[in-house]
Amino acid sequence: MAKPDLREATSVYEPLLPIEKKLIGWSLGAGLALLALLVVVNHLVPLN
Amino acid sequence: MSEATLPLQAAAPPRFSEDLVAVGLGLLVFLLALVSLAGADALGWLVTTSVWSNPAIALAPVSKTYASLGGAGSLLLTYLVLTAVLSAAAYLLGDDVKRFATAFTAVFLIAYASWFIGSWAYLAAVTPADQAKFGVSWSLKLTNEGGYIVALLVGLVIANAFPAFAERLRSAVRPELYIKIAIVILGAFIAVTMASKLTLASSLMLRGLAAIVEAYLIYWPIVYLIARKGFGFSREWAAPLASGVSICGVAAAIATGGAIRARPQVPILVSSLVVVFAVIEVLILPFIAQTFMSHEPLVAAAWMGLAVKTDGAALAAGGITQSLIQAKAAAEGIVYQPGWMLTVTATVKVFIDVFIGVWAFILAYIWTNHINPRAGALKARLGEIWERFPKFILGFVATFLITLALALGTTVGSGQLNAAIGEANVLRVIFFLLTFFSIGVMSNFRQLWQEGFAKLAAVYLVSLFGFVVWVGFVISWLFFAGVKPPLAS
Repeated sequence: MAKPDLREATSVYEPLLPIEKKLIGWSLGAGLALLALLVVVNHLVPLN
Repeated sequence: MSEATLPLQAAAPPRFSEDLVAVGLGLLVFLLALVSLAGADALGWLVTTSVWSNPAIALAPVSKTYASLGGAGSLLLTYLVLTAVLSAAAYLLGDDVKRFATAFTAVFLIAYASWFIGSWAYLAAVTPADQAKFGVSWSLKLTNEGGYIVALLVGLVIANAFPAFAERLRSAVRPELYIKIAIVILGAFIAVTMASKLTLASSLMLRGLAAIVEAYLIYWPIVYLIARKGFGFSREWAAPLASGVSICGVAAAIATGGAIRARPQVPILVSSLVVVFAVIEVLILPFIAQTFMSHEPLVAAAWMGLAVKTDGAALAAGGITQSLIQAKAAAEGIVYQPGWMLTVTATVKVFIDVFIGVWAFILAYIWTNHINPRAGALKARLGEIWERFPKFILGFVATFLITLALALGTTVGSGQLNAAIGEANVLRVIFFLLTFFSIGVMSNFRQLWQEGFAKLAAVYLVSLFGFVVWVGFVISWLFFAGVKPPLAS
């Protein structure tokens, strides 16, 4: 197995695949929605 | 997740995993602490250091039962027992025991000397009353936990100015092992803290859920996008880098590397970067927190858990932040119960750690089925969730639940339990210290300037200081603003 070189990390352009776009989009969407939900819960059940 | 250790060259194949060894040692310390509930003081000989202006009286055994040992005797005994026990651990991990013991001697001596220096009144005295007591006209007010910073700085000097010496220490430079043991012990300490205010404690844990969402579902996709689109990194590099920056440092990068079937060296190179930036964060963020957030202690504590990568660095940053803010509050006449800020940092960090296995499985599924579906290649298996689960968390949960049960469900007095866990906590502090020194020794800044490293560092820099730190602050504020730790009675 070839030892990786940091120079190769950006040497070949790999376009974003649809599945990567989905992963990014779904993660962010779910994250923001869940965070909003938790903010509401936090508001309803305040720390004291 | 866990700490920043690059794999060592083992002398033999490991007999047990590092997680299991850490759990075993952490539980051993915990059980020895509990022995004192039956009347036998099994850990009272451990050495502690008080803030000092006269070095001759700084060291002492933690329990008066062992007062006859004196400071030097308890230090020697602590060193001998730790060397013996950790050498046995090194054997179980497949390391060369003789080489480990030799290196550990130097590591322990330098780390504890750093702690000793950090307890000097000119560095550690906090209030004017303390300054008068120790006869000093000024002090840096770092508290004695400033010793962590001294250890980190000494480690950095060794790594960068004396690399040959750093290499000789390497077999005992095991921050991951040390912090995992400390976290297992920490479970008991947190339980004792929480038992006194159970409603507040359970509310804090609920807020820990926000940390999971933030790390996995907000940080990760943004860092991945920046690495891929902004800097043109390949998928093999971008995924471990996103995990290293977003989740919890080294273990997350390594778990992700395994999940996407990257070459093993890729997450290791990413990990070395994680360590360097964790050091920078630890040296900066606690002081920012003390300056701007001293009236919002739990916001500051949660911020450390969300912003500082690697378990060791995050918990140590939480500990330093706690000391700095408590010191500032004490100077204003407000005395908080100790432990609550560290509890918040640890809760946030442990919650994030727990999901590494699940996230790695999701990435493995996507990579092996959609991105790189090679014929004959191993597909993602559900069992990988368990394989990648950080097992030392089980030790943390065990000490936490047992201590909580003892505090709430038995007739054991809280003072007695506090004293027992307090003795174990002395070892937790020592393992934190060893972690700090080790992280310093591993942080060779020159590596950043190796060809190609600058671009990797640029992604990290942009992500970490561009939004991870700030988003972490906003979310900490949203969930913890206005909540103060209980006041000391």
